[in-house]
Amino acid sequence: MLPVSTLVRRSVLVASITDEEALAGCWRHNADAIALELPISMRDTRAAVAQAITTARRGGAEVFVRLDKSRAFAQMNASVSPELAGVLLPHAESAAEVQSIEAMLAEREREEGIPEGQLEILPVIGTARGIWNVRQIVNASVRVRCTAIDEVSLCRSLGIVASDDFDPFSFSRGRVIVETLAAIKLPLGIGHPLGARPREVAEDELIRIADRARNSGFKGALCVAPSWVEPCNRAFTPTDEQVSYYRDVRTAFAEGVKRGTAAVPFPGGRMIDVPVDERAKLVIDWWERCRQRDAEKAAALSAQWQMH
Amino acid sequence: MPINNARFVNAAWTRGCDGFTLDLEDSVPQSQKEYARTLVRDAIHTAAQGGGEVQVRINQAYIEADVTSAVWPGLSGLNMGHTLTVEQVHLMDEWVTRMEREHGMRPGTIDIDVSPDSVYATVALEELVDASPRITSFGSVGGYDYALSLGVEMFTGVDAFFYPRGLGSLIARAHAKEFPLSAQVPDTSGSVSDAEHAFRQAQATRKLGGRRGGGLHPNVVEPMNRGLTPTADEIAEAERILDFWAHLEAEQEADGQLGETIVDQYEAARARELLDWAAACADMDARKDRMVARARAQQAGN
Repeated sequence: MLPVSTLVRRSVLVASITDEEALAGCWRHNADAIALELPISMRDTRAAVAQAITTARRGGAEVFVRLDKSRAFAQMNASVSPELAGVLLPHAESAAEVQSIEAMLAEREREEGIPEGQLEILPVIGTARGIWNVRQIVNASVRVRCTAIDEVSLCRSLGIVASDDFDPFSFSRGRVIVETLAAIKLPLGIGHPLGARPREVAEDELIRIADRARNSGFKGALCVAPSWVEPCNRAFTPTDEQVSYYRDVRTAFAEGVKRGTAAVPFPGGRMIDVPVDERAKLVIDWWERCRQRDAEKAAALSAQWQMH
Repeated sequence: MPINNARFVNAAWTRGCDGFTLDLEDSVPQSQKEYARTLVRDAIHTAAQGGGEVQVRINQAYIEADVTSAVWPGLSGLNMGHTLTVEQVHLMDEWVTRMEREHGMRPGTIDIDVSPDSVYATVALEELVDASPRITSFGSVGGYDYALSLGVEMFTGVDAFFYPRGLGSLIARAHAKEFPLSAQVPDTSGSVSDAEHAFRQAQATRKLGGRRGGGLHPNVVEPMNRGLTPTADEIAEAERILDFWAHLEAEQEADGQLGETIVDQYEAARARELLDWAAACADMDARKDRMVARARAQQAGN
């Protein structure tokens, strides 16, 4: 089977630690991961950050903190704990930046007794320089297992006024997707038009947009609002119909090979061959991993209800 | 077409194709690979009767065995799917050179098409492009293989291949190679025999400056040829532009208005290119007609 990332990260909900209401409820939305935005001043916040991480993890989500490059050292000092999954690195522009964060994380891991290399770095690409250097960024460290594109920031970097009528980032998104997947890592993004103009929209519209993002190569998205989470979870999970279709593909292909051909006619005038069968294996595998992840989160939620 | 499918191979020359790809790779099951190699020499001869160029697609896992079986007079090029490294291209080149010599072929006859058919190949493209002087063109981007590596569905109407096409095109042109430009015409059926879609795809590709198309079913050959060939109206318009340009040059004018078209040296060059392409298409059609007639006469004689 083609080597692919085994991470399931369909929805990464962004929540601010300083928004008490949002923080208190962030674990209820069924996100695969939660990215906590830290306060500007990190003085005396270590206990608050630790509590926020504990709260965010209650629903089984992986929890990240979002760094500010200029305050990264203080933020990592305040937030690194065995419960943390990793850090988001916004405006990532070079391998050197990633490696600098890596060195600080390694030191904090030692201090906290966390196994070496456990904490992840999730670069968020939001500048022209970052898009250009994405290959060196994704390959800068084994801690990078996932990337995301920030189109709002990219608009600022390129002097673009975002509009729903025009998608200026097909090439940029494609570059992040291709380079990330080629490194066997996971690209995140929602695509046009919500990437550059994130906002709350009707659920079916969000599912349609997220579905298009999946069909561009993204495997999940940063969610700016809780209302994005379930639509993203749905859109980035193979449907039962797709799984059934690909099971039929596997059967038809296996029968074709037995007959001595690997170019097998399929209903609807399609033709299936090795890559279609390989795709079938991956979709079924991805569906199973999504189910497993959903079961983990359901178990975590269930434990919360029992506790209360 | 799978080289081990005699029905496809034997009929190929009657289909009117400008070229054929005989496949040793993904359409041939593992258990049939060795047998398939024994068929290549005859298959090249059979397909070439139609006048089109014959290419063989080989496996990157079996470069030596596949090249050894495929390089025979009548072959114009080899395509290697899933090409990932410069070393693979070097090995392929080395074996092609050896087989050209063994079979008395002029050195350099066989072109190598590198297929950037996955995200892995796209990131390696800048290294691959100059890996051999035999590489004159890249293979196409955007089939099942590429969709597999992106993890996307093929027939959703979303253009998931915009970036690899764009990057591939830039790298190819920057290194004076060809890149098979192909327009993205939404296809939500996935039918390999959809003639109407093939025609729209070919028309759109030609408007982008592309000259090549491909397909997996005989139904798409004629519409693909038709869509990639300039129409009689376009040829007449190009001739009118060139006549007008000759008049402008005689008057020592840099540009002038012909109907709704501003004619200048660039517009004249474009018209000339269209006429050259129309002539090349006509030559190819004549060659195919001649070769098919000859093959039919031979068959009748036998």
